[in-house]
Amino acid sequence: MAIVSVQDVSKDYMLGKTVVPALRGVSLDVDRGEFLSIAGPSGSGKTTLLNLIGCVDTATQGTVLVGGKNTRLLSERTLTDLRLHTIGFIFQSFNLVQVLSVFQNVEFPLLLQGKATRKEREVRVMGLLEAVGIGEYRRHRPSELSGGQRQRVAVARALVTRPALVLADEPTANLDSETGATIIDLMKEMNHRDGTTFIFSTHDPKVMSHASAVIRIADGQLVAREQLNGAAPGGR
Amino acid sequence: MGSRGDAIRVLFRIAFRNLAASRVRTAIIGGIVLLGALLVVLGTSALGSIAQGMRTSVQGSLGGHLQVYNGASPDPLQLYGGLRGEPVLDPIEDFSRVKEVLGKVPNVKMVVPMGIDTAMVATGNVLDLALERLRGDVRRMEEGESGPELERSYRAHLSHVRRIVTLLHEDLSKARQIADLKGKYAAERRENWADLSRAASDVFWDGFDRNRYPSLEFLENKVTKLTQDNAFTFLRYVGTDVDAFFEAFPLAEVAEGQMIPRGHRGILVGKQYAEEWLKVKNARRLDQLQERRGRGHQISRDEDMQRWVRENHSGIKEILLQLDPVKADEVADLLRRGLGAPPGENLEALMARLFDTHDQDFDQKYQLFYDVIAPRIRLYSINVGDNITIKAPSKTGYFSSVTVKVYGFLQFRHVEKSGIAGGVSVMDLMSFRDLYGYMTKEKAEEIAALKQGAGAKEIARDDAESALFGSPGSSAAQPGETRSTRIDESKLLPGKRVDPVELGSRVYSQEEIEHGVALNAALILDDPGKLRRTMADVQRASDEAKLGLKVLDWETASGVVGQFVIMLRLILSFALFVFFVLAVVIINIAMVMATLQRVKEIGTMRAIGAQRRFVLWMLLLETMAVGLLFGLLGAGVGGLVVWTVRDMGGIPATTDMLNFLFAGPALLPALGAGNVITSLVTVVLVSVLSGLYPALLAMRITPVEAMATEE
Repeated sequence: MAIVSVQDVSKDYMLGKTVVPALRGVSLDVDRGEFLSIAGPSGSGKTTLLNLIGCVDTATQGTVLVGGKNTRLLSERTLTDLRLHTIGFIFQSFNLVQVLSVFQNVEFPLLLQGKATRKEREVRVMGLLEAVGIGEYRRHRPSELSGGQRQRVAVARALVTRPALVLADEPTANLDSETGATIIDLMKEMNHRDGTTFIFSTHDPKVMSHASAVIRIADGQLVAREQLNGAAPGGR
Repeated sequence: MGSRGDAIRVLFRIAFRNLAASRVRTAIIGGIVLLGALLVVLGTSALGSIAQGMRTSVQGSLGGHLQVYNGASPDPLQLYGGLRGEPVLDPIEDFSRVKEVLGKVPNVKMVVPMGIDTAMVATGNVLDLALERLRGDVRRMEEGESGPELERSYRAHLSHVRRIVTLLHEDLSKARQIADLKGKYAAERRENWADLSRAASDVFWDGFDRNRYPSLEFLENKVTKLTQDNAFTFLRYVGTDVDAFFEAFPLAEVAEGQMIPRGHRGILVGKQYAEEWLKVKNARRLDQLQERRGRGHQISRDEDMQRWVRENHSGIKEILLQLDPVKADEVADLLRRGLGAPPGENLEALMARLFDTHDQDFDQKYQLFYDVIAPRIRLYSINVGDNITIKAPSKTGYFSSVTVKVYGFLQFRHVEKSGIAGGVSVMDLMSFRDLYGYMTKEKAEEIAALKQGAGAKEIARDDAESALFGSPGSSAAQPGETRSTRIDESKLLPGKRVDPVELGSRVYSQEEIEHGVALNAALILDDPGKLRRTMADVQRASDEAKLGLKVLDWETASGVVGQFVIMLRLILSFALFVFFVLAVVIINIAMVMATLQRVKEIGTMRAIGAQRRFVLWMLLLETMAVGLLFGLLGAGVGGLVVWTVRDMGGIPATTDMLNFLFAGPALLPALGAGNVITSLVTVVLVSVLSGLYPALLAMRITPVEAMATEE
């Protein structure tokens, strides 16, 4: 069953008094365990689509189902809960909390969930920091790290709640291509290891090539879906 | 459970770290909060202490807890006088009724009758006194007495009078140079000058022995009036049931002399008033110098003190006039030795040397004054044992006067130096009634009626006693008639003037004292905490008994004094209000800016699952933390300031106005838990209030903001 199901979705923005259509009649199913890339030029609607899937925005028309739930029917509060428990986010500009240490940034979603004990959190956070290769920087502040290191922290933060779905909006855009590649590798490794579904947007063909499938968007419309290689088997 | 605590901990962590991260902002907000807390602590502490001082002064001296007066009065009761003099009050016709009715109201312990007014007191002048002594000697000699002691006394007193006249002549001859001798009063002035010149001439004194009585009379009639020293002064008194007064106001005590014997006429003069107005000016100024030096001031640095020293120089004449030749010689001799002056120096120069004091020799000279001069002069113009004549300056053009004996000086413990409490004298109620009787228009009309021979009818209407001491008129009587029942005793005894001394020895019964006029009454309560309730009860009891009284609490009754505290409170509240409004605006702006800087971060938190509530608390906690932290710091600094001020002896009351305000020589600010709690609650509330808008703003930040890419 699809973890994400987008059905005939349109999204309009208001720019002053003019209506700007960002998405027009997009339909898309994403299966569990996919490592899906959304490709398209700037302003094509990539971020809008991710926002709708990530429950941070709602569609003007059509339905978005995440984990089988119709996001249009959920309250703001429930949507926030859904994001907290089901979705992980990786941002183009990392978006770490500057006043918290690396460890605390990663721990933050667990504290919001309020379920794990201190010990469990310690184990889980450190496990992830080791996995993304920055265990030794646990006490550093984000400002003391390089861009690549920061994005690794962000990846760890996105995965710490063991979400079914991770959304990444241009995760490599602020990194040089080499570092960008290692981040994509890292994401793919996590995709393979846990079967977590990844959806990321990019306009970099090299990054795209790592995906199991590529969705191409232009002018707010889905123009193509290309099946590539190596999706995680079976999902979770 | 533990995790929830952890979530709260992370809230605090973020809040504090944000505070630490933006130091400038935190310093600005913290500084404002600290200053606010400091202001609240200092302001409420000072105000509380002033209010407490006022309470002690007012309740302990005249006010009691409640006051009642005739509700029909044109002015409200003002125990300490208003800005335009004494308030005009209609009398309470029969105090005994008031006492009877109000005494039964629960929680009322005592009802004390009062009549407060300002009157003039004749203090006599130096020449008067010198002539009086001389007349005594002359009388003895004319009656045939003789002897070396009498001769010596006569000669000393005679030369004292001559000396005064000579000095007066010198003074006026200087004055003549600038006086207008052509105008309206020219003839009178010339005549006065001629009289004085004659009195100062050798011929006059050579002939004195042959013509003692005529010479004395000439001096008494023609010269005495030319002296200009203090012939009278104003005295503020409360006429009351003296025994009840002392029971009701336990702070009152007789500082010198004795209590007025029960039922007697008499007066206890306010000690502080005596110091300020009745004492020889030079002595008073020396006292003030001494007091200010005691507070660490130095003459060399204090302009007021330097002025007092200068004024003392010109006050020498006042003392010289008081010394007869014998005493003058004694003083000169002792001063010469005490000051180490050359043998030939005369008394005036010695005095100038004495009063020309500076920081190094002040203590020695102060002591010398009190050892040598003070015992030989009349230090106060009114003394214990004197019979003084008090005149009431009437608003309707009539004067009345009574002569009462000064039994002692009155002071109020703890507030001895307070101009509020210490300025008033206490007089018996009978003398007050005599003085007051003439002051109403009705009384004036009544006297006129008496003079026309209608008086007999008036008196016959009632028995003598109630006519004497005022009884309630018949219920059918008009208010005007009721008032006319007060009668001047001297008029009741046709052909015989009442001798004041005889009057002074009369003993009045409690009933006589209570049956009659009072202007107001002080109520003392068993439990002052129930003041409001009792006030309502008293008003109700008065209304039911148709007494027509108006009830005031002590603060209102104290008039401008009480209003001053209310005004201070208003000013402080307003100042703090303005300060905190500004604080809210500034903190608000700072926090809005901080929020705008953190839009992306907050959006991210929202995106990864933080509820709006979390964001709201995160921001509120930040301002609350600043408020509490710097509020505590400010309160601490305030406490330190208060403690230091107390340790240094309080804020000195350097002026009469401050003395009046502080109800004492210094304000000892007190710091209660209440002050600290008030300041903390205030600043935390203000912080939260200032942080509320930015927090609400932050709460509305959507997670979409997290996705917005940077330039």
